[in-house]
Amino acid sequence: MRVLLVEDEVRLADNLAAALRDGPGFAVDWAEDGEAGDDFARTPCYDLIVLDLMLPKLDGLSLLKRLRARRDSTPVLILTAKEGADSIIQLLNAGADDYLAKPFDLGELLARAKALIRRGKGAAHPTFTVLGLEVNTLEQTVSRNGVFIDLSPTEYRVLEYLIHRPRVIVSKRELLEHLYDYNWEHHSNVIEVHVSNLRKKLDAAQPEAEPIIETMRGRGYRLAPTFPPEAGTSAESGAALKSIAEPGK
Amino acid sequence: MKFRFQPRSIAFRLIVAVLAVELFSAVLVVVLSFGYERHFHFHAFDVMLQGRADSVLGAVQDADDPGDNVMLDQADLHVPPEDVYEVWDAGGHLLGRSSNLKDAGNWQGAGPGAPTHPFGDFFRSTINGHHYRVLRIQGTRTVDPGEKGGGKARQVVVVYGSPTSHVWHTIRGAVEFYAAGGIVLLLVTGPLIAWLLHRGLLPLRQLAALASQVSVDSWQFTPPASARTTSELAPLTHAIESVLQRLERSFLQQRAIVSDAAHELKTAVAVIKSSLQLLSMKPRSAKEYQAGLERCLADSQRLEALVADMLALARAESSTPAPGQPGKTDIADCVHQTVAQLETIATLRNVQVLFPEPDLNPNPTHVPIVPEDCTLMLSNLLLNALQHSPPASAVELLLNRDAQTAVLVIQDHGDGIPLEALPHVFDRFYRGDPSRTRNTGGTGLGLAIAQAIAQKAGGTISIASQPDPALPNQGATVTVHLPIAE
Repeated sequence: MRVLLVEDEVRLADNLAAALRDGPGFAVDWAEDGEAGDDFARTPCYDLIVLDLMLPKLDGLSLLKRLRARRDSTPVLILTAKEGADSIIQLLNAGADDYLAKPFDLGELLARAKALIRRGKGAAHPTFTVLGLEVNTLEQTVSRNGVFIDLSPTEYRVLEYLIHRPRVIVSKRELLEHLYDYNWEHHSNVIEVHVSNLRKKLDAAQPEAEPIIETMRGRGYRLAPTFPPEAGTSAESGAALKSIAEPGK
Repeated sequence: MKFRFQPRSIAFRLIVAVLAVELFSAVLVVVLSFGYERHFHFHAFDVMLQGRADSVLGAVQDADDPGDNVMLDQADLHVPPEDVYEVWDAGGHLLGRSSNLKDAGNWQGAGPGAPTHPFGDFFRSTINGHHYRVLRIQGTRTVDPGEKGGGKARQVVVVYGSPTSHVWHTIRGAVEFYAAGGIVLLLVTGPLIAWLLHRGLLPLRQLAALASQVSVDSWQFTPPASARTTSELAPLTHAIESVLQRLERSFLQQRAIVSDAAHELKTAVAVIKSSLQLLSMKPRSAKEYQAGLERCLADSQRLEALVADMLALARAESSTPAPGQPGKTDIADCVHQTVAQLETIATLRNVQVLFPEPDLNPNPTHVPIVPEDCTLMLSNLLLNALQHSPPASAVELLLNRDAQTAVLVIQDHGDGIPLEALPHVFDRFYRGDPSRTRNTGGTGLGLAIAQAIAQKAGGTISIASQPDPALPNQGATVTVHLPIAE
């Protein structure tokens, strides 16, 4: 997952970026003013935007309005030092998804960031289950039919992105854009290795089953190609189905 | 319509004033009419008295006796029964009197003597308990006019009186009419004036009602058109408007300051809190903890500097002067101290600070600031110049004075200040270039503090800059004007 952080206070931005990278393992891009943030946000590769309100050049609210005016539906978490219900109402009405008042709790920020990303992709619960494969995004653990699988951080992040979008063909470029920050092109060669390793580890846990990640040459990757389209088995699959119904995402 | 008149209300005072004037006029009319009526009626009365006395005189006839005497023939004399008269001859003999007079001499001043006035004497008298006005005239009756020599002329004196009560009655009636008219006028005009005033003061009440709706949350004040067009209310309306505008501006300014300060403080706290939480997110090595703690310390030092600057600004802006004697600082001395203080930073940034020994006359030149504030102001200005100077450049300080003012010019050779930023450089928390000042650790309050200190001392700080891409390193010029303390 890739997060855009727009914050003019250097030390706070450092801490937030470090927390988002260390904790949930997101890729983080940092913009130090509103104009730069707006430029960054024009690339469609962010799963979340963390936006400070008081910014030089272009304030957070104007940035948010520009974002929503061009029909960008990326979840936005606002960081605000302003008091009062009025400004919160104004923010939410302008298209913000959530807000945190400074000084905030870092753990709360990470939890809200994860929840917003999940919601943005149509899932309600932090645990995903597909074809016996269970991914707990809170503990960052993966198991298949009860067998825990040990993944490297990058492998886990690839799987986390794919599990949010089962049965959808995810291109290599999309995967790269959402897993790495602005210098994602440097990683284009290694991503195939990571996917290959991930597939091996997942299939080793249940050798008799079909491969859970399908490589479609020249098009990308697809998780759970034989995912049964049965509805209502659990909240997770319901959520997953919902995301299938929106292939444009 | 509601009439409510307190003793202090303008309407009440105006009504009382108008009614008092009316009352005074009414009294004047009554007094004047009394005088006029009395004159008029008594004049007519006197004429009537004269006529009746003459008719009494006409009743004096030849007595047809050998002594050529005259007599009063009362048979043909018709006068009102309440009137009194007496007729005397020149010898003082009574010729006759009215029947209601019992005896002679019971009226004062009247008698057989000749009147002093050619047309007769008027005097007052009381007869039988009634007031009479009495006329005494002298007449001549010629006895035997047919005889040779024209007959004999006999002098007679007629005293005639008539009661005055009915004249007074008429006068009283007229005066009473005027008095009653005045009272009716007062009674009618009182409520009328009240009503007219109530209507006339409507613009004032409308203005007051609108002005009372202004509050901290709603500064909207649109004066009614009636108040604007009323010449007495127009200045008041204008004054209220401008006061409200100034108040609103300063109120919004204060609110913005508090909001800015809250934002800065919360951000600074957020930095420290997030640094600590980041450190405790997962187990770390001793080295990582060490580095994290150092970062936290640096963060709290920033918060400390921010709080210190905010307090310095609040102190400099407070209108009450610091306790103790008013400050007095040798400005040249203060500049030297400041330059010495910031020498390390200047060396670190590879910037030269030039301060030629000023030629001040008389020397030393004192400015009315306490030394600590003076140093704070100058170091903030110099630090700002240093931070905007490129390496291997110089900051020039120039101190001068005239009779009343000390002038310090600080010139740097940096990029200058963009035109759009120039009006805001003294604003609190304003950072011309966010990333640079953040890196240099500025709180965005330095110039605001310097300006507040200068203004408190009655001086000014101005900043001039003309950034020109063709002529780089023109820099900015800060000019401080300070009054000289005696």
